[in-house]
Amino acid sequence: MSIPDTILTPPAPPRSLVLWRRFRRNRAAVLGLALFIIVVLMAALADVVTPGDPLRLAGTPLTAPLSVAENPWGTDQLGRDIMSGIFHGARISLAIGVVATIISIAIGIVIGAVAGYFGGRVDGALMRVTEAFQTIPSFVLLLTLVAIFGSSIENIVIAIGVVSWTAPARMVRAEFMSLRKREFVDAARNLGVSDISIIFREILPNALPPVIVFASVVMATAILMESALAFLGLGDPNYASWGNMIGQGRAVLRTAWFCSVIPGMAILLTVLSFSLMGEGLNDALNPRQKK
Amino acid sequence: MTGERKTILDIRDLQISLPAGGDRPHALWDFNLTVGEGEIVCLVGESGSGKSLAASAAMRLLPEPHVHVSKGSISLDGTDLLSLSERQMRDVRGDRIAMIFQEPMTALNPQKTVGWQIDEVLRLHTRLNKAERKARAIEILTDVHIPDPASAYNAYPHQISGGQRQRVMIAMALVLKPRLIIADEPTTALDVTTQKQILKLIKELQQLHGTGILFITHDFGVVAEIADRIAVLSLGELVEQGPADQILNNPQHPYTRKLIAAVPALTPPPEKAMSKEPVVLEAKALRKTFAARGGFLSGKRNPVIAVKDLTFELRRGETLGVVGESGSGKTTVSRIVTRLLEADSGEVSIDGRDIISASKAELRALRKDIQMVFQDPMASLNPRRRVVELIAQGPIIQGVPRETAYARARELLSLVELPAAAANRYPHEFSGGQRQRIGIARALAMEPRVIVADEPVSALDVSVQAQVLRLLADLRDRLHLSLLFVTHDLRVAAQLCDKVIVMSKGEIVEAGPTARVFADPQHPYTRSLLDSIPGRGWEPPVLSVA
Repeated sequence: MSIPDTILTPPAPPRSLVLWRRFRRNRAAVLGLALFIIVVLMAALADVVTPGDPLRLAGTPLTAPLSVAENPWGTDQLGRDIMSGIFHGARISLAIGVVATIISIAIGIVIGAVAGYFGGRVDGALMRVTEAFQTIPSFVLLLTLVAIFGSSIENIVIAIGVVSWTAPARMVRAEFMSLRKREFVDAARNLGVSDISIIFREILPNALPPVIVFASVVMATAILMESALAFLGLGDPNYASWGNMIGQGRAVLRTAWFCSVIPGMAILLTVLSFSLMGEGLNDALNPRQKK
Repeated sequence: MTGERKTILDIRDLQISLPAGGDRPHALWDFNLTVGEGEIVCLVGESGSGKSLAASAAMRLLPEPHVHVSKGSISLDGTDLLSLSERQMRDVRGDRIAMIFQEPMTALNPQKTVGWQIDEVLRLHTRLNKAERKARAIEILTDVHIPDPASAYNAYPHQISGGQRQRVMIAMALVLKPRLIIADEPTTALDVTTQKQILKLIKELQQLHGTGILFITHDFGVVAEIADRIAVLSLGELVEQGPADQILNNPQHPYTRKLIAAVPALTPPPEKAMSKEPVVLEAKALRKTFAARGGFLSGKRNPVIAVKDLTFELRRGETLGVVGESGSGKTTVSRIVTRLLEADSGEVSIDGRDIISASKAELRALRKDIQMVFQDPMASLNPRRRVVELIAQGPIIQGVPRETAYARARELLSLVELPAAAANRYPHEFSGGQRQRIGIARALAMEPRVIVADEPVSALDVSVQAQVLRLLADLRDRLHLSLLFVTHDLRVAAQLCDKVIVMSKGEIVEAGPTARVFADPQHPYTRSLLDSIPGRGWEPPVLSVA
């Protein structure tokens, strides 16, 4: 009956396997992942499926979908192939989503971590700055930034990142405030670990799961923001982004609906895939889940 | 069982199923237990033994359908509880069975006054009018000896002390004069002196009303204090049951014997001649106040003095116990000497080198000599790091090459009696005692001269506690370590510490060799602490554990 407490339990399965098992249980998340893979494949295979510049003249303007073999999804008013635009646009949308998310999460983590870890005056100052950003509607700020710096694709991506860091910052700050009081932080300080290492190597890995989940939301909004800019005619005209396509299709919306609806569907499905995956990640990373 | 006594609660062949995939299919197995009128039955077991589930089953509060009763019967005064409808069961709860929980702060609604919460019980279960209910509530508050019941009636839970909150919980449980009270670790969260008063109160009220009490606990001291009969649970199986006297002094089952053997005896070690050893750690006139932050508009609150003029010295190979109740400042002491907290004034020196005024770089070098073992082995290990990284982290920061540090970490695992396979695992894969061993290995990796241990065993089961304490004592003697051991548990202090300092409200009220302080306490506070040790009159029998 006497059990010495030094006998180990059988080893736990690797973390990645456990996470995948939990993710898989959420069917909607698996659907989201499938959609996401399709978008990634579209971006990767754009030059194979629809070779050539997507902005070139490829057929009679305003061809309806499924009527001509060369332009299966139809053409817009300048005779550009819509299918080619969607496939190449997937690259732009994904790139914008990923880069803008990285920028916003990176700023958010640094500001939130420093504010949450040090607290006091540092926290006060940083949070006032955050609030200043939060009081201005992010899209208005985005318009202002693009109006000032010009609408090249790099500027748009950076501007989207800059206007969307506040929510991740507050989230990271809240996580840090609760984690910094844990004993393992004291234990690390007691070993002589420096503040920077404590923030980034001890606390941050524990604070990441909710941020990763939130990143999927940021990515979806980043794509939507770029589309909205393009819709208003502020996108980068040198790239075939989905937003640009909707913006230009708007002029012929009543006669040729497909010019706006097809890229609109692409945006809808991509954003949906991110939200669904976010849900699944939330389930997978939730520490209260047993299996 | 005890002749004339009428049986109130009768549990027969109870079996509780756990969901598939758990560590065992049944939480309880063939569980038989009776509680008679005016009888206190203690259900004892370590964590995971299923003792709390037994209580939930009697209240029909199991988290069904995952966990459910698959066999057996529970009857209260002859009524089969398992066949009642949910509606009928609601009338039974509170009215005929009441429950007292471990943590009174979370069991009381913080938004409502004490009076409102007692009133609610009466409103739901009686037809008394408002004035009668209030009179009854104040009467019961008087019965549980709350000072100034009328003002306590209007107080919110956070406005009264922990002990008083537990009294309120007891008042709520008793107000309807139930037949049976189930008390789930009701004193575990309380200080010893408060615990003693609460235990006395439970016993007194139970004799007055003839209530049957099912008392769930892991603490044999408490058991010795109040039990009439004892049932011992191990992994869902009832291994032994019988009158208190018989189980405490002549246990039969090996598991019970092991549990009782693990209870630290109250006889401190003989005085060691320590005066020849050099002083390793010295603290002089330490002082720390916590400034209470007032709100923007609210007035300033008075600062709290956590530590006042604290002076002590620790010699090589010696163990100094810092004992006291919560709020006495003992944890603050452990954080100041390791400089996790900045002291307001005073000096702490290790081998003559001052740690309080050390610069960042000097401090990093000094940290090597003074290491800490924390209270909560779950919270003090970073969940995202492997064990070997956790142990090697300190030496790597001190400039030891990674390979050497990892190799040394693996050696340390065997020193703390963990298998080498533990190195590549994450903290969540270990039990509480094993985690605490990892915490000790981490402290030892720095080859410190002093280890500060802040309640290192208070989160552990008693048998594991004994193993960890033995390990600490063994390492101390082998490596000539000095230990500063902070604890609230005087039994633990008696086992391990050569000297103790007793703290109350930030001040040392008494200091000296443990044997002398325990045998002949001078200060009234020390005396009341020693008197409050549960089961003081019971000396655990010396048992050979097979």
